[in-house]
Amino acid sequence: MSQIKKIHDMLSSKEISCKELTEKYLTEIESSNGELNAYVNVTSDTALAQAKKVDAKIAGGEEIGLLEGVPMTLKDNLSTKDIETTCCSKILTGYKPIFNATVWDKLEKDGAVLLGKTNMDEFAMGSSCETSYFGGATNPFNTKHCAGGSSGGVASAVSGDIAAYGLGSDTGGSIRQPASFCGIVGLKPTYGAVSRYGLIAYASSLDQIGPITRTVEDASIVFDAISDYDPKDSTCQGSKGVRTYDTINNDIKGMKIGIAREYFEGVRDDVKDAILGAVKVYESLGAEVIYFDMPALKFALPVYYIIACAEASSNLGRYDGIRYGYKTEHYNGTHDMMCRTRSEGFGDEVKRRILLGTYVLSAGYYDAYYKKAQNLRGTIVKAFDDAFTKCDFVLAPTVPMTAFEMGHAVSDPVETYLTDICTVPVNIAGLPAVSVPCGFNKNGMPIGMQLIGNKFKEATILNAANTYEKAVPENFKNTKWGVKL
Amino acid sequence: MVTREDVENIAILSKLFVAEEELDDLTKQMQEIVEFADAINNAPDSGEEFDNINNLSNVFREDVVVPSLPSEEILKNAPEQAEDHFLVRNHA
Repeated sequence: MSQIKKIHDMLSSKEISCKELTEKYLTEIESSNGELNAYVNVTSDTALAQAKKVDAKIAGGEEIGLLEGVPMTLKDNLSTKDIETTCCSKILTGYKPIFNATVWDKLEKDGAVLLGKTNMDEFAMGSSCETSYFGGATNPFNTKHCAGGSSGGVASAVSGDIAAYGLGSDTGGSIRQPASFCGIVGLKPTYGAVSRYGLIAYASSLDQIGPITRTVEDASIVFDAISDYDPKDSTCQGSKGVRTYDTINNDIKGMKIGIAREYFEGVRDDVKDAILGAVKVYESLGAEVIYFDMPALKFALPVYYIIACAEASSNLGRYDGIRYGYKTEHYNGTHDMMCRTRSEGFGDEVKRRILLGTYVLSAGYYDAYYKKAQNLRGTIVKAFDDAFTKCDFVLAPTVPMTAFEMGHAVSDPVETYLTDICTVPVNIAGLPAVSVPCGFNKNGMPIGMQLIGNKFKEATILNAANTYEKAVPENFKNTKWGVKL
Repeated sequence: MVTREDVENIAILSKLFVAEEELDDLTKQMQEIVEFADAINNAPDSGEEFDNINNLSNVFREDVVVPSLPSEEILKNAPEQAEDHFLVRNHA
């Protein structure tokens, strides 16, 4: 059942006050965050002040909105006015934004209770949350394993039931991969469906903000609340008037599901079996399955790393020790000051990606790498355009494996990059995709599948995902952690 | 082939220091990453240039005057400031 609706009903019926509810979450965060390391900053005062407002409204007999009073969290790269926002980097420690990200502006106006900011790979660069300056978030299903990344903190908090839902960002899989690892739902919206204003940039042509939730219904509720036109982000078009919640329970009989063979190359057997199991469920629900090839996907991973790193090298040029963030103590001249500030302030993975991005943009390499990657991006976009003439959505694994053990991902950068193979094509083509739990491996670690839709077709994939959830609710499991409402 | 000199040059462009003892390791890692990126050279090139994902062009809005952020707000996060400006010293 929708966690958000459940809380809404409890608050509306006065079964629990918003203050009591918020305190419950804060107590659980205090007792479990030592092991989960999901939160990097707990905003108890802000949360309790907001809870008080909600309680006053309920006491006054006023109706409350669906998201009003629901305790939630934000990834630490989403700007929150006067609340420290670090991107889990030393270079931004102490930084308090002077404006809100548009998504937080919207949710704050809707009365959301912000419990705190959650852990992430430094500047969202990583797949295990372990490049975080504060150490990685662990997986509530087994804390010897990572929560995934980069939005590992949000996923750990939501899966561990120490936040009802959260917002993450997805540049190459950073919402879907941790959602898959932690057995929950993660929606990466169409590029341009949600405003990026106030999201601290990693790779601007790929970044999107989206919900991480316990159920598909919750993902739909939160997506509808944040998807809107915003003049502050010139690439933002909003949801174009579509409310996904209205069609979430539609019959999927006759819906066409596309399976591209390339998505299954190198995928572990337990993951493959779980996905094929889900295909059977869909067939039994009346959907039709179509198989095809998408050879362009073979190049998606290097295309992604070239474009993402190129954009990152430019975006991260702003950290200069002058306007905000960390500044080195001793230096000789401004060039020296900037070099020392950046070398001391950025972690190894961030430096590697800045160096690679600078390399592929530099004279002599631009045509061979950046320009070629951009042209191939167009080829991948066309491959998906073609796929969507044959099917309503593409079904694929979210990650070729289940959550890695802590420490595994940091040991080999290129091997870790390879694990993003199933998630990056969606960002390259600007498409929406939702990761949904579809089973467990023999050790009880969750497996996720992703439903990839055509641009601005969030309603289609959420409808199909919700239908699956209702058919196989046992894949949506609680862990031992959390408030357990 | 990525050389030590390449990494040193890119580091200067990136405004990053690479310590002498890190240089060999980093060159090796960069070489591995570049080899991985080289896979795109085996891809057929359509030759068609890609512009932006939703084919947007000239996104305009009405030029409405709204208040700007006050300078004291903007300076709040600056490591050093003086006389309503960011302060950059030549030495410290």
